[in-house]
Amino acid sequence: MTTGVRGRGARIRSAAWAYGNLVPFVFFALFPFYFMVVTSLKSNAELYSLASAPLWIQRGAIADHYRFLLERTDFLVWMRNSLVISVLATGVSLAISIPAGYSLARLRFAGVGGFGTAVFITYLVPPTLLFLPLSRVVVWLGIADTIWALVVTYPTFLVPFSTWLLMGYFRTVPREMEECALVDGASRMQALLRIALPMAVPGIVCATLFGFTLTWNEFIYALTFVSQTANKTAVVGVTADLIRGDIYYWGSLMAGAVLASVPIVICYVFFLDYYVSGLTAGSVKG
Amino acid sequence: MAVGPGVLDATAVTGGGRLGRVRRWWEQEHVFGYGLILPALVLLACLVAYPFLMAVYLSLSDYWVGSPGRFVGLANFREILGNDVFRQTVRNSFVFTGIALTLKTVLGVWLALLLARNLSGKRLIRGAVLLPFVIPTALSTLGWWWMFDSLYSVVNWTGIRLGLLNPPGPNWLGVPAYAMAAVIAVNVWRGLPFFAITVLAGLVAIPREHYEAAEVDGAGAWGRFRYVTLPLLRPVLAVVILFSTIFTFSDFNIVYVLTRGGPVNTTHLFATLAYQVGLQGGNLGQGAAISLFLFPMLGVVVFLQLRYIRRE
Amino acid sequence: MSARVDRRQFLKTAAASAAGMAWLASGRAPAVAQKRELTFLSWNHFVPASDDELRRQAEVFGKQAGVAVRVDTIAHLQLPAKFAAEAQAEAGHDMIINAGSNPFLYERMLADVGDIVDELGRKYGGWYPFAAESARTGSGWRAVPWFWISFPGTYNQAHFKAAGLEPPKTWADLLRDGKILKRQGHPVGIAISHCNDAHSTYWSVTWSYGAKVLEADGKTPAINSDRTAQVIEWYKELFAEAMEPEVLSWDDASNNRFILSGKGSWIHNPISPYNSALANRLPIADDLNHHRSLAGPAGIHSAPPIVGLGIWKFSKNTALAKDFIRFLYRKENFDAWVVASNAFNHPPLRSFADHPIWLQNPKLAMLPKEAEFAHPRGWPAKPSDAVQRIDNNFILADMVAKAVGGMPARRAMEWAQDQVAQAVKGQLKAA
Repeated sequence: MTTGVRGRGARIRSAAWAYGNLVPFVFFALFPFYFMVVTSLKSNAELYSLASAPLWIQRGAIADHYRFLLERTDFLVWMRNSLVISVLATGVSLAISIPAGYSLARLRFAGVGGFGTAVFITYLVPPTLLFLPLSRVVVWLGIADTIWALVVTYPTFLVPFSTWLLMGYFRTVPREMEECALVDGASRMQALLRIALPMAVPGIVCATLFGFTLTWNEFIYALTFVSQTANKTAVVGVTADLIRGDIYYWGSLMAGAVLASVPIVICYVFFLDYYVSGLTAGSVKG
Repeated sequence: MAVGPGVLDATAVTGGGRLGRVRRWWEQEHVFGYGLILPALVLLACLVAYPFLMAVYLSLSDYWVGSPGRFVGLANFREILGNDVFRQTVRNSFVFTGIALTLKTVLGVWLALLLARNLSGKRLIRGAVLLPFVIPTALSTLGWWWMFDSLYSVVNWTGIRLGLLNPPGPNWLGVPAYAMAAVIAVNVWRGLPFFAITVLAGLVAIPREHYEAAEVDGAGAWGRFRYVTLPLLRPVLAVVILFSTIFTFSDFNIVYVLTRGGPVNTTHLFATLAYQVGLQGGNLGQGAAISLFLFPMLGVVVFLQLRYIRRE
Repeated sequence: MSARVDRRQFLKTAAASAAGMAWLASGRAPAVAQKRELTFLSWNHFVPASDDELRRQAEVFGKQAGVAVRVDTIAHLQLPAKFAAEAQAEAGHDMIINAGSNPFLYERMLADVGDIVDELGRKYGGWYPFAAESARTGSGWRAVPWFWISFPGTYNQAHFKAAGLEPPKTWADLLRDGKILKRQGHPVGIAISHCNDAHSTYWSVTWSYGAKVLEADGKTPAINSDRTAQVIEWYKELFAEAMEPEVLSWDDASNNRFILSGKGSWIHNPISPYNSALANRLPIADDLNHHRSLAGPAGIHSAPPIVGLGIWKFSKNTALAKDFIRFLYRKENFDAWVVASNAFNHPPLRSFADHPIWLQNPKLAMLPKEAEFAHPRGWPAKPSDAVQRIDNNFILADMVAKAVGGMPARRAMEWAQDQVAQAVKGQLKAA
């Protein structure tokens, strides 16, 4: 820490400056969420009245929209599906991309550059249309209209992404440590598991968080590969059920958005701990 | 510095027999390397290669939803290039991606630097800043849509009350410039956490000694950023920008929910136009051509950037 | 070293939780329906009670036939992606809702339902021609017309009364009255944007002024004409003096909110706002009323959405699906379903049309007569995938939007003519 170098006053000024700078960011990030919460708690009469203030609740908060969501739709089933699918798909993707990322970042063998590029290029394929041929594959695998259709297809966009993210992190890990381990008699797998992997934990946390979020939020595959209400994910279930032609159930839609975000927020809070601990440990010390 | 096979033979591998031979074989750098990427390659070959080649073929055929097509070469590409809605879409995409990406990069690095500081309550702040990335896009975009609604816009209501806007306030989704500003704002809102958190992870990986050394040398805050942070951040930043470029170019949800490409196609992006032409209009061949249009160009960009990253 | 341990701990926890989740998932009993299952993909009906009734009938039919019938409904804007995926995979539902030009787009993929169309037509007084046209392709019947959605004028009679106005009879009346209403703070509203209502209105207005988009051959663009110029002038004046710029950003739901909020005095829409006001017991239901489609120099014409039922060719339950359709069209079932929709679903069969529900409510009494003014989109051309594309690419709304944005009408029409030509050029070869 640099306590000794600068004085107390300077430190306070600097912290105040940082907080001041953070305020607009936090406001920008939170305002829409605040607004969604407010909307989800308003009665329809207030929601659709031109005289009322959209910014806060004037006529009392109500839980009707939440009740509607929980009692009149299969929201809880959708949430469970989303959870199972996201965890499995993210887990599978990490299991595949951690070794791949390490291999592409660290090892030297013929064609490593080509493989790296090939993995990446697949990411350029626009999903807007990719889902059409993929739907045929899903039917061929016999997993159409089940949650497995999503568990199997989500890694297609998670693996390239996580592989490349992890490559970046593996590169920031000093090579010397692994080399020492190898010289000391460790196998390559041991060097990967004992040395490189723990050091890349911030990267793995990042990949996990992003992977989880991407799968949780995925829309087009979840819409097209699954039809039964009992197998839908939260995002598809909420939009498919609460948009009825030219009538939108705004209150319940926003309630769905809020509730669908909660588990993922919890997961972030949980992971942020590890993230921060990685931070304070000074991360990479030889 | 790669570890030579000699080192391995001498030290790492002990024991003989069949197991030993397998182990020796496995310890070779190239075998180990291939082995580790094999699962990824199998997955991508099975689940991406076929659909991808199919998509390429579609763009070269007059395929329709639900009916077979034949090979027509580059006819689809010629046709879309002749359509001014498509040319408008190309312009929109570059404006959208250019502005959104610049904002995300600058603000993202700035935010990451702020988040990296040891402030009290930083966990709370980090959690808050992450929120936009956490809320499912398909739902949060609906929230934004409601914020821009022509009758009940909370943005306009607040702006008017604060005296910042003249009643009735901007017609957010009905005027080309405002509509573009709105979709960019939502994209930045949603994409900023991705930048910030990834850059933050990169910042964390920078050894403190570098800063201490720079400080001893008398470098100020800007100097430390310019000569220590930025160069060491480059590999992470390059990957993030690369991914974000692709994410942003292929954005679908925001435009589809907020404007469906309107007003008068001034917010159409490749993905939304491809959806409109290929799925709703049924012309899969042209739809595929639209969504693959940037593929060669992005491919070149990616190739160059990858080479750059590898050199790092 | 403690950080290192933390990380190991993290990795272990992560691995353990993934394993636990796998276990949780494998424990889920697979929903294997041993019974034969008939599946139907439909949209979320604009009046939810209509879907409830449909599901009830499906269950009754399922019990009778000894099968399970599953009705999946999703938001209507999500349907195209779903259809495309099912057609591509040649797997999915047995039956689908078949709206707009879908029967033409998926002509090769849909089973011929001519037998059942003939049978029902003979039994119930024949099909309305506009409904029949939108279900019959060059190669046969690819849909059974299911219902159509009348598209009358919806107005707030309190606002009209306050201004001393009668409900309009012609598009010119609407323009004249709209100017007065806007000055009183209650503008009228027609969407000029990327949404379905924008097309429905444009087709109605353009026919009423004797203009067309395509010649009867379905191939020759005909939008660039003096009559279209008249239509554009009418739109420009309405936009400037009777509406607010917000119509440029509207989606299908915006005009409903506009009239339900009490701000708007008139919209062009199905009766869904009235129905939703009744269902939610909003006081504005008393003020809302409907009037028949507006007239122009060339008479009264309307472009109501027309919806059919289709059966995928790849379905293994074709006969069962046809039985289900017959069941839905039994008089008592069809009537119950119309009642559940609160008069929203209009029967395409003549002898179903005299259901008392419309006469019970004077605000709805004139709706069945709307059938006389109705044409499928594209008229005088036959409906086709090209017509679908004209709608899907929002050519008509964009032409008007360009003109109200200041582009000379002539140039806007030239642009639209070119776009229509391109929509036709890519036309799907007939099956």
